[in-house]
Amino acid sequence: MSVKVEVIEGGIPHNNILMSGLLGTLVCLYLTYLNVLTNTEMFAFFGGLAAIIALIWGSHTIKVLCSYGIGTGVPSAGMIAFGSGVIAMLFATRFGILAPIVALVLAAVIGFILGYISNNILNMKIPAMVQALTEMAVVGALSLMGFAALITGGFTFAGLTEGTVTMLGMTVSSNQISFIGGGLIAVAFLLGAIAIQHPFNATLGPGWKQDRMLMLTAECGFLSMIVAAFMSFALISAGSAMISLLVAILGWAYTYNQYICLSKRDAAAWLDAKPIPDMEGH
Amino acid sequence: MSAVAAKPQAGGAMNPTAMVVGVVMLLIILALCWYVSPGAGLMALIGITIGGVLIGFGTHFVPVGGAPAAMGQAPGIATGVAMLAAGAGLAGLFGGAWAAEQGLVVATVTGGVGGGLMMAITCMMVNFVYVFGMGIPSASGKVAKDPITGDTQAEFKSQGTEGHGLPFVSFVGGVIGGFLGGAGGTLIYLQLLNLYEETLPALMQVPPAQVMPIAVAAAGMFAVGLFLVNAVLTAYNITGTIEGPHDPKFKRWPRAIVASAVASAMCGLVAILIVVPM
Repeated sequence: MSVKVEVIEGGIPHNNILMSGLLGTLVCLYLTYLNVLTNTEMFAFFGGLAAIIALIWGSHTIKVLCSYGIGTGVPSAGMIAFGSGVIAMLFATRFGILAPIVALVLAAVIGFILGYISNNILNMKIPAMVQALTEMAVVGALSLMGFAALITGGFTFAGLTEGTVTMLGMTVSSNQISFIGGGLIAVAFLLGAIAIQHPFNATLGPGWKQDRMLMLTAECGFLSMIVAAFMSFALISAGSAMISLLVAILGWAYTYNQYICLSKRDAAAWLDAKPIPDMEGH
Repeated sequence: MSAVAAKPQAGGAMNPTAMVVGVVMLLIILALCWYVSPGAGLMALIGITIGGVLIGFGTHFVPVGGAPAAMGQAPGIATGVAMLAAGAGLAGLFGGAWAAEQGLVVATVTGGVGGGLMMAITCMMVNFVYVFGMGIPSASGKVAKDPITGDTQAEFKSQGTEGHGLPFVSFVGGVIGGFLGGAGGTLIYLQLLNLYEETLPALMQVPPAQVMPIAVAAAGMFAVGLFLVNAVLTAYNITGTIEGPHDPKFKRWPRAIVASAVASAMCGLVAILIVVPM
């Protein structure tokens, strides 16, 4: 029996994923700025795409870090990514159009210091630790910013804290109906944290394949984007939210199919068992 | 290098240079905070740092068993440090947030009680499952006698395991850890909430009543973020599993104190900078 190896061990080098992930995320985040330029909200879906690209990059970083066996479980890496990322992201929103760049730099600084703490003060002595935690913080910050842009149509502090509520036909400005004030940020936080830690946790082992894991990340990311797009109905116009929802559902359907194909490819054997067996003949 | 060969080498050893660098970093961060926001900001940052240290120290008490505990081969609760610490801390945080208007001491203690209660319930139900579901007695593998009750452990321990179930000392450790974690999380939340309530109305030019949801949500998110950072750093310190305060790994706590202090101060500084006028 011959074993067909479709990807070499390791697949695409991590640095390529890092660079393309970083560029793709920043470009998609800035594409949401078209909302301001054209005075619409229909480009909000680029925020979701930015989050998904960042998540894909982040899940590969988790793979690099956790293949050293840090002994604390894979989910902890996702938690520290978003825990440090949310702090950088919230502060960066104050800088208006520069927000993604500030989030990137600040998250990198926070991540670097956390990496130093883990490696030296806590004596972990893992070679990939500092770089991985730096990347993770950036991924956490940028993907949260992506979700914020998807839900509110922008990534500035004013946009995230101010909303409008229509009461008896009158439109009143309110801080309660907003991304931060309404607590939507907590949901976005965990949507991202689950999507970033699940793929490597689910696919690790001797049969690990890079393309299968990254496809699973994209699938988890689109799944989170569906939920986030639902939430965006509260804050942006229904048409724009519908565009986000359509993009998310189409993307999820495609990546889910691809992931099932890749799983069938990597499985030793495949039996298409039915969830409910036919009871004929009994 | 394979994953098995590359197990972390982190023993109990301290790295004195790094510890000194950590303390210097902490002082630099405090000085920066004094520079940008001398009164309220600095006080808030000190409170945040104390809260972070409480979380980091408290997590060492929690009996974390991980995957071996799920198979009855090691004592402790069968999940990871980050999950347990986050669970206890967030339960405490929610408890303390309800009491935020009762003042600092009442709210912090309420948060601690919330976290301790969550851990007590978890430890009790875990022992129910272990004893009545899996049919294993509680026995520690790290000590010959339970330090609190004095019960001997060896005759209850199955061969080839590191102990199993949740001995009494681990139960007590879990409750203490939950109390410290919940109190720390609440302390961080209260410091940030007070700061935001004072400064956000002027910054955003809205009335104080309007700013409440923003202050609560932002302080809560920062507290959750800080909590997760501290919990994961502590998880890195004890590299996975710990039985409780009687475990030899417990002696590593000084490293976690420095690490938590630096990490909380740094993240706290960013959280305070958000309300510093530019």
